[in-house]
Amino acid sequence: MLTYITRRLLFLPIVLIGVTLLIFFAMSFLTPAQLVSAYIKSPEELKNQSIQELVGRYGLDQPVWKRYFSWMKNVLKGDLGYSVSANMYVTEAIAKRFPATLELALFAVIPVICGGIWLGTISAKNHNRPLDHASRIFAIVGWSLPDFVFGLIILLIFYGLLSWFPPGRLSVWADSVVLSGSFVQYTGMNTVDALLNGRFDIFLDALRHLVAPTITLAYLWWAYILRITRSSMLDILGKDYVRTARAKGLTEKLVINRHVRRNALIPVVTVVGGMVLGLLGGVVIVETVFDYKGIGLLIAKGAERMDYTLILGTSLFYGVLLVMTNLIVDILYAVIDPRVRLE
Amino acid sequence: MVFKKLIRNRISLVGLVILLGFILIAVLAPVIAPIPDEFLAMDPNRDPYRIPRYGFSSTPRPPSPEHPMGLTEGQLDIFHGIVWGTRTAFKVGLIVVSVSCSIGIVIGSISAYIGGKFDEIIMRFVDVFMSFPFLIAAIVITSVLGKGLGNVMIAMIMFRWTGYARLIRGNVLQVKQDEYVMAARAAGVSHIKILLRHILPNTIFPVIIQASMNMGSIVVTASSLSFLGLGAQEGYADWGQMISYARNWILGAPGNPMAYWYTVVYPGLAIVLFVLSWNLIGDAFRDIMDPKLQA
Repeated sequence: MLTYITRRLLFLPIVLIGVTLLIFFAMSFLTPAQLVSAYIKSPEELKNQSIQELVGRYGLDQPVWKRYFSWMKNVLKGDLGYSVSANMYVTEAIAKRFPATLELALFAVIPVICGGIWLGTISAKNHNRPLDHASRIFAIVGWSLPDFVFGLIILLIFYGLLSWFPPGRLSVWADSVVLSGSFVQYTGMNTVDALLNGRFDIFLDALRHLVAPTITLAYLWWAYILRITRSSMLDILGKDYVRTARAKGLTEKLVINRHVRRNALIPVVTVVGGMVLGLLGGVVIVETVFDYKGIGLLIAKGAERMDYTLILGTSLFYGVLLVMTNLIVDILYAVIDPRVRLE
Repeated sequence: MVFKKLIRNRISLVGLVILLGFILIAVLAPVIAPIPDEFLAMDPNRDPYRIPRYGFSSTPRPPSPEHPMGLTEGQLDIFHGIVWGTRTAFKVGLIVVSVSCSIGIVIGSISAYIGGKFDEIIMRFVDVFMSFPFLIAAIVITSVLGKGLGNVMIAMIMFRWTGYARLIRGNVLQVKQDEYVMAARAAGVSHIKILLRHILPNTIFPVIIQASMNMGSIVVTASSLSFLGLGAQEGYADWGQMISYARNWILGAPGNPMAYWYTVVYPGLAIVLFVLSWNLIGDAFRDIMDPKLQA
């Protein structure tokens, strides 16, 4: 086990360097004059300075490898440049917006995993019966509904028609409470902060704003996890040890819960990494549709205004985050399935 | 044989019928939605992909006999946009799928055939590309290259080939040790010939199928980028952009939340049906190709 984790950890810096190289490669499409904005420390620097001087000062006319190292030095110091569209440093913007996105993603992941596994089990138990076909159709249709179409329809029905789930993160009254001095923002996640501050009304308000974006973000992965659980359950149901378990007279419930589902969950864990990747990409659309102020909306607004400093900085952050998540998923996988670490 | 099975399966038959409908719409677009005469009179060389604009008010107008699906924001004809948008969808999907699949097949098969350290380096390279969410990666590349449908396609190709490379690599690695490849090598056949004549014909088919089944998801990503305002230019027939026009009207008029339903329902339906048809066929394909499910 320990050797497996060490080996994975040794690969980590290589992949991380690869991620920085990729972002740096994307930057090389920009002209030195365009790149200046990725390097300046504040808007004041642009006053009384020609672009040429700035290009010289930040060494943007130097050979590629020298530029890479000086850029890396900045990145390691946590300096990703100044974003015009967000009107603040990129690192500052990420720190401010990330908790909102994390909150949204966490609310989406838990029902997806639990609900998807549950529905997948039911569907496998009723293999080739109407319930199985219904779940198959739900999955294919879910898989075919683009999130921006689905999100707009949800908005139309649950806000336009029923006014149940409004867009945004909080109602105006709740927002003013959260921003006032007496409310302490421990984590930046409204639901958690509200509970820590003992404000149950704000918790409910935050929850109400989370329902629609969570459903939009999650339905596609629901369908996906359902299908994966179903096919791996079917695979395991045909195994000899399941027949043995039935033959020795175990109840169907015990067979499913103890012998089948545990083994069937192994392939499900492998797709969790891909799911996190998809969810973090999906927030760009979902946050845009629901005007939910997280990193996704930041990226969408930045892209609209061609704010490449912001786009490059946030994508670097995303890349590092995802490499870390994948590492954790791999380690979890090895914990669950002993065969992996013996390879 | 595969085709026969596809037709016999009710689910995939529905998919095939819808897809055929879209192909007909795309082919017959100049007949179904020709450029209206008054626009042709103004500009004889008008690009048919430009949606005709009937006026300057921004408020959408409901369906009428002249405009069967109504006019969306900026008085753009929804019917015209959907018909020509079908061509845009096929164009984007076919180009991205074929180019990225070709790149993936070349890199992946060479990497697997050479093997060793070279293969290891290429695969780590692929890992790095795959550690970005596809949509974010496409946004990054489009934001440095500039907006536009062409750049959106380049961005998607840059991050799509990796999946196909990984797929073909796995297949080539399996076949590489087979006896007929060994025999060819012993007979002194050149490496390029072995790869082209013996290995690729036996490995390429599943990858091409897999790639063509990705048409739906490619079109969704391209539409998403247009929805975010990075793709097609203003007024160009593109489903994603038509939905972004609907965004401001989704909540309807005071007292009538459904007032502008047609701005989102028609383009939304077009995308959903298009993607659905590919997914229905793909789902049936997976069952047909999977020997475990045959029994």
